[in-house]
Amino acid sequence: MPLNLHSFPNAILHIDGDCFFASCEVARRPELRGKAVVTGLERGIVSSLTYEAKARGVKRAMSLQEVKRICPDVVLLPSDYEAYSLYSMRMFNIVRRFTPDVEEYSIDECFADISGLQRPLNMSYEKIAQKIKETLDSELGFTFSVGLAPTKVLAKVGSKWNKPSGLTIIPGRDIHLFLSKLEVDKIWGIGPQTSAYLNKCGIRTALDFAEKDFEWVRSRLTKPHHEIWEELRGNMVYKIDPNKKSSYQSISKTKTFTPPSKEREYVFSQLSKNTESACIKLRRYNLATKKIFFFLKTQDFLFKGFEFKLMRATDNPIEIIKMIDKYFASVFLEDRLFRATGIVLMDLAENNCRQADLFNEVVTAEKISKIFGSVDGMAKRYGKHTLFLGSSFSAINKSQHAGDRKTVADRKENLFKGETYRKRLAIPFLGGVS
Amino acid sequence: MLEKYKKQIVRFYQKNRRMPNYAEVMSLLEFKSKNAVFKLINKLKEDNFLTKDEKGKLIPLHLYGELRVLGQVEAGFPSPAEEELADTMSMDEYLIKNKEATYMLKVSGESMKDAGIMPGDMVLVDRSITASDGDIVIAEIDNQWTIKYLRKKGKEFYLEPANKKFPIIYPKEELKIAAVVKAVVRKY
Repeated sequence: MPLNLHSFPNAILHIDGDCFFASCEVARRPELRGKAVVTGLERGIVSSLTYEAKARGVKRAMSLQEVKRICPDVVLLPSDYEAYSLYSMRMFNIVRRFTPDVEEYSIDECFADISGLQRPLNMSYEKIAQKIKETLDSELGFTFSVGLAPTKVLAKVGSKWNKPSGLTIIPGRDIHLFLSKLEVDKIWGIGPQTSAYLNKCGIRTALDFAEKDFEWVRSRLTKPHHEIWEELRGNMVYKIDPNKKSSYQSISKTKTFTPPSKEREYVFSQLSKNTESACIKLRRYNLATKKIFFFLKTQDFLFKGFEFKLMRATDNPIEIIKMIDKYFASVFLEDRLFRATGIVLMDLAENNCRQADLFNEVVTAEKISKIFGSVDGMAKRYGKHTLFLGSSFSAINKSQHAGDRKTVADRKENLFKGETYRKRLAIPFLGGVS
Repeated sequence: MLEKYKKQIVRFYQKNRRMPNYAEVMSLLEFKSKNAVFKLINKLKEDNFLTKDEKGKLIPLHLYGELRVLGQVEAGFPSPAEEELADTMSMDEYLIKNKEATYMLKVSGESMKDAGIMPGDMVLVDRSITASDGDIVIAEIDNQWTIKYLRKKGKEFYLEPANKKFPIIYPKEELKIAAVVKAVVRKY
């Protein structure tokens, strides 16, 4: 029995780049087409992989040694986030040619609301979805998977249905045909805990879940799951949020470095650099933080962190690093090799309500914020980390990944006249041509 | 009539390399009074043909028509610069039509030398355009990018270099055209 009588009470698209990072690499290097390609060389683990690599048993987050063992002819590439971001922006802009309601969900996926656009675009919903896919495929040079459905949750089911390069249309009347073939733990927003519970209640497929009546769902599950239940039935609950991200719940910066280090001073400088980077982002969005969490990861993936609160919200890395220094000993272990550091800034609030305090620290803070205004100005002109704190020195002055591993994206070495290592043209580079 | 007066003033200006005074205008145009000259001058001023300095002496403005020189700013009027600039474009707009489909490549080798495309040059290419006969294109041959003229003979397409030392390429299978070259940029 159909769950919904209307085909498209709303028409929502979910668009997903097929193995996005690896595809960006193959799109500019035709010699890689049809090969097992993996990105993430600088991190030592798989970050993105082509379908050819997947077919050989390579998985995300696998260590690169393991990858080389099971697939000796794999092509390992360092990540070029600059290029991926350019492609990502282009992807969203192309979708915006068709509709202004585009939600940038992550670097390689977005939702778009095309409700009511049949007449203005003079195309059916199916045709619009197909046209968007064709434009993306041809202008970006690799394939995208698209789902068209009455809700976001179902659109996401659609885009996953037939990867890569699929276009799956789920009209309200046909929802049940798809959900009957979908296991309940594959639904967006249903985690392992909930799916285990649902399995105990005899619910195996998404259709089993969607066919339960509201009373059943209401009495057993929480509100987010009620919403998913509605969405699965073709009733839109989650709206498209077309606003660019202008605010953050938290800001985090994590960086791996190689070789791993035992040296306290070096590990600390890595953390200091991350703190500076996080504060740059904080200042870009005019935010200040009050709660900070920092952590270290050892070579054997042991994770140790510490959380503290500040008296007063700040965007000043000097204040934060001073505090980290105080608590650093509680997470740093002598004679252990560390491979990564990270920091999370939380309790973010707009940075405009500096309250005067008893000891008149505000005046000093005011002066320091002026200094960082200039630091940001220099960065805009000459690149990030042009001016940096002494505590970050060893991290910034040493390459993040030492050794013979080629970890710099080749774009940074293949410059045009007038470009610098720090500043390049914002156009994707397809490499050499003869 | 006004045009005729203008011409006579221009002739005077060309001959004497200065503007006439009121008396000279009177005799030049065979006017009966200086008042008539005054009225005419006001009209010509409205036309932006000429203007007067503080002492009332005549200064040429647009004696030779309305051709404006960019950067000329008249006191008392809003700067024309803004309006004029509305019809200009940035280098980006000039070189790039479809921003999302434009990519760059770096030329190596001299196969397009006679087309003025040299090693080290940047080429801007568009992936959204369907290539046609005579375009310079980026094609994929033996898993490598190549830049050549696209030519058509009968129904068959082939790739032609702009350098006699290089061979013409007849595709063995289907010819894969990735993009059409829209600009070459060389910075010195």
